Amino acid sequence: MKEVSMYTLSTCPWCRKAKKFFADRNIPFNYIDYDLADEATQGKIMQELDAAGVTGFPYVKIGDEVISGYQPERYSSALRL
Amino acid sequence: METESRKKALHYFFDKVVGPLGFKFTPDVELMDFLLEQEVVLEGKHGIPFCPCQPLRHDRARDMQIVCPCIPFHREHFDAIKRCWCGLFVHKDVMDPDSLPQLPPKDVGLE
Amino acid sequence: MSDKFIRAISTDEIAPGGMKSVELDGREVVICNCGGTYYAIQRRCGHMNAPLEMGTLEGKFVTCPMHCAQFDVTTGQALSGPVPADLGKESLSPVLAAYMQHVSALMKDIRTESICTYETKVEAGWVHVAA
Repeated sequence: MKEVSMYTLSTCPWCRKAKKFFADRNIPFNYIDYDLADEATQGKIMQELDAAGVTGFPYVKIGDEVISGYQPERYSSALRL
Repeated sequence: METESRKKALHYFFDKVVGPLGFKFTPDVELMDFLLEQEVVLEGKHGIPFCPCQPLRHDRARDMQIVCPCIPFHREHFDAIKRCWCGLFVHKDVMDPDSLPQLPPKDVGLE
Repeated sequence: MSDKFIRAISTDEIAPGGMKSVELDGREVVICNCGGTYYAIQRRCGHMNAPLEMGTLEGKFVTCPMHCAQFDVTTGQALSGPVPADLGKESLSPVLAAYMQHVSALMKDIRTESICTYETKVEAGWVHVAA
């Protein structure tokens, strides 16, 4: 099973949908709400996003694949569902 | 500050700005209401109504690019996906906002 | 409805969308012309007392020129507080930097209060404000 983790914002409805997508399918995932994190963590997250050439939240990692934006079809195909 | 009054005021101001850009408020009223409420929260916290779906970088010049409505700073991208990132605004001809996926610039051949 | 009204300004003194400050019996009042309907509000911003007639009126919303707090002129309700200033990336002189830090600390706890509004009526080409 591929590891799923994401960076999200507590104020973003699409981030909530992304979390719900995996929760509804009983797929474990880690997440960090960027806006609630401390400055050091925020800095690290932005470095990662900048390196991936992406600025949009939700930022979902499934294995090695990075998906920016709420894209349930891509989540499914990345997980081979 | 009373949230409902502030939401209405933001709606009034934003409507005037996005119209000439070819956008309107999303017909998804529930989503619109939720996002405006989040903006009121962000305005209460930071003094400025930022986009609820984009990260603050604590760099004024960059953060100004996500002040709602942020359409002018992301024109090409948002015109390509017919919506703004958080979906508060959509192109004027959009009737079914659910059909508009949230695609980053890379996924529509930009950047 | 009030009994006593004070004659304030003539209706041709403010164009629609405009504001004018007047002093009535020692009270500082701003008259707003919202598309032909007149509203009267206290002159001083509910944040830090700046003169609101020097701000902008958009529809029924007035924005203070000092820190951009916004109010509904029909109800006086405070809608939003100050917008934080940007002093740019150039370094300030030590004296100015210390002063700005001091002022910021004081401003942190200043609330934006709703403002007073006063009844108006138009009679014979004059805007009157309740005493």
